[in-house]
Amino acid sequence: MKNMFSRKQLGIPYGLFLVLFVAAPLLVLVYYAFTDGSGKFSITNLLNFFTDPNTLGTLCYSFVLAIVTTLVCLLIAYPVAYILAHSKIKRKAVILLLFVMPMWINFTLRITALKEILSLIEGNLAFYPFLNTVIGMTYDFLPFMILPLYTTLSKLDKSLIEAAADLGADNFQTFIKVIFPLSVPGIVSGVSMVFLPAMTNYVVLDMLYNSTYIMGSLIGSYFSAYDWHNGSMIALILLIIICIVSLISGDSDSEESGRGGALL
Amino acid sequence: MKYFLRKIVSVSLASLIVIGSACAFLPSYAHAATSSDTITLRVCNWEEYIDEGDWDETIDLESGDIKGENSMVADFEDWYYKTYGKKVKVEYSCLGTNEELYNMLTLGDEYDLVCPSEYMIMKLMSEDRLEPFSNDFYDKNIKENYYSRGVSPFIKNMFDSNEINGEAWSRYAAGYMWGITGIIYNPDAVSKEEASTWTIINNSRFKRQITIKDNVRDSIFAAIGAIKSDKLTSKSFLASKDYKEKLAQEMNDTSDDTIKEVQEYLQEVKDNAYSFETDSAKADMITGKVVAGYQWSGDAVYTMDQADKDDFTLNFAVPKESTNIYFDGWVMLKSGIGGNDEKKQAAQSFINFLSMPENAVRNMYYIGYTSVISGGNSDVVFDYLRWNYEADDDEADTVEYPLGYFFSGDSDDEKYILTIPRDQMDRQILAQYPSEDVMERSAVMQYFDNDKNAKINQMWINVRCYNIANVPPWVWIMVDVVIIILAAAYIYNRTKK
Repeated sequence: MKNMFSRKQLGIPYGLFLVLFVAAPLLVLVYYAFTDGSGKFSITNLLNFFTDPNTLGTLCYSFVLAIVTTLVCLLIAYPVAYILAHSKIKRKAVILLLFVMPMWINFTLRITALKEILSLIEGNLAFYPFLNTVIGMTYDFLPFMILPLYTTLSKLDKSLIEAAADLGADNFQTFIKVIFPLSVPGIVSGVSMVFLPAMTNYVVLDMLYNSTYIMGSLIGSYFSAYDWHNGSMIALILLIIICIVSLISGDSDSEESGRGGALL
Repeated sequence: MKYFLRKIVSVSLASLIVIGSACAFLPSYAHAATSSDTITLRVCNWEEYIDEGDWDETIDLESGDIKGENSMVADFEDWYYKTYGKKVKVEYSCLGTNEELYNMLTLGDEYDLVCPSEYMIMKLMSEDRLEPFSNDFYDKNIKENYYSRGVSPFIKNMFDSNEINGEAWSRYAAGYMWGITGIIYNPDAVSKEEASTWTIINNSRFKRQITIKDNVRDSIFAAIGAIKSDKLTSKSFLASKDYKEKLAQEMNDTSDDTIKEVQEYLQEVKDNAYSFETDSAKADMITGKVVAGYQWSGDAVYTMDQADKDDFTLNFAVPKESTNIYFDGWVMLKSGIGGNDEKKQAAQSFINFLSMPENAVRNMYYIGYTSVISGGNSDVVFDYLRWNYEADDDEADTVEYPLGYFFSGDSDDEKYILTIPRDQMDRQILAQYPSEDVMERSAVMQYFDNDKNAKINQMWINVRCYNIANVPPWVWIMVDVVIIILAAAYIYNRTKK
């Protein structure tokens, strides 16, 4: 009786969640991806993906959109995180809060507000669909880039920077040789938190009048035409691509931190 | 102490799980307990598509005041008990799109009464999923048969003359709200003539200033209208004997050649339109972001009403080529009813209750769409129209607007002529109760069978997706260069180690 609930059993709620909402849907997804309308095994959906110029084009479009968004986020977030982490401003927490605060507001509301602001600046939004989408996504995902960067940079061992200065490195060299390599783990987690949603978040496109489909909207269009098989296949391939991207970034992550360790 | 704490946490967590799972089973027990004396009716309707009560305004008609105090569903439950002496409990849920409803049904969700659009009704009919109405549903002598007694002759004719697999729509479906498609426009920027054709969606004068529906069926209809504009408006076509039939054929032409033309046309439209929208056009019209938009009549009425509040005038035009008449209708599902006559009776009573002229007016007022109910012997619906549209006595410029075709089936019926301010001719009333000459050029759009549907969806994807063949060669070369450089850098790094 005493050991009725061990620590292991505390994991049961999450285990249930995992089985019900992660593993089971995934199995259904795989089942639909590899069957045709009559329920027979088929790889036509797979072939469709790699032969249809539209799916490939959409994949490229989504990739380009995600890459540009991630780069813009990184370019904006890195200096901010760096300044915040290294300045002696007393109310750092307040400033950080200002950056994170938008996350407390529902993102469709934020995009609606952004739409009005952009209309004031640009006039007719429909002339710049790609630019608007990048702006919208950057607005949406920026906090996800700032936070991990700030955490990494603020935990950075100051003595390393002093050591670099003692050894005669100027500011620029210190940054390139010491600070930047040490902040790579933050960059990697920031990138993966921005890149992946940027490939599929089609609500931003819809709201900002970009009529071109990205992966998310393509999957949706198959589902609404009752074609669960092709839709599932695209979702599955997207999942695999995301896994590969995560693996590569995870790989370089450990490698870079290894290099960071070697610096010591 | 620490051990004790851990135990408390785990015990409370475990009890939470137990309680949680018990809760999940509770509703089914509750259901079982009441089902013996109460009929449960599972209704699925569009969001905000029924009067939910709590009005501020009263509609003061000559035939009496109308005001929505309670929700229509609650009123139905009361009425049913009073009329039939049996309790009915409506389990009301909402659907987002027709396709979503179809997918839910395929997955095994059960409803007794649903309200899909015409093409989904046709699809469900063709798949033999619908329960036919009982014969006494059509009996006009029964007082409670408000639908059969009150449905507009125009709508009844449509439901009787259109068939799927040799059976008339009216056997399985009762209309709810109906409308047409057209163009809403800002008269300061767009002339009536420019707006009265489907070719406006590709008119470069309004580049990036016109919205299109983000919906493959509506887009195809507009594109076909635009492509065939010359043919459809030619004198010989208009004068042909079986004009209505021919028009329906042309507008439902989904041959491969036409689909290809439609695709090319829509690809041009994509570069000309402001956006493919599902809901944003209403706000964008009112704020002046766009000057014209492809709109369903009900939404057009709502948009014009909202604009009026801001002293901003918007008009509505029905393209000269053709307009798509659409409706949402009530159908009973075999899977839900399951041969239960009590349920079937309750479902039919629900339709009849919504078809009481007062309730039709309440729903119309609340939703903004046009009810299929003309009222039969009752004048309540027409009174509501007069309350809404009739010109004041001191109005100088008025016209007569005959609506006999809808209310009595006789175009020249003098009882159903509205006197309206002249500018209304291009405004709300045209959208809410189109004139007979507009309905002359209306066409029902058929449903697509599975093969057609796949083909048409592919066409839509071709329009909406970025085609990889459009990537210019220099981009490919640059991508190659970047990949080579990255790979080289990676290998160089590895070997250096």
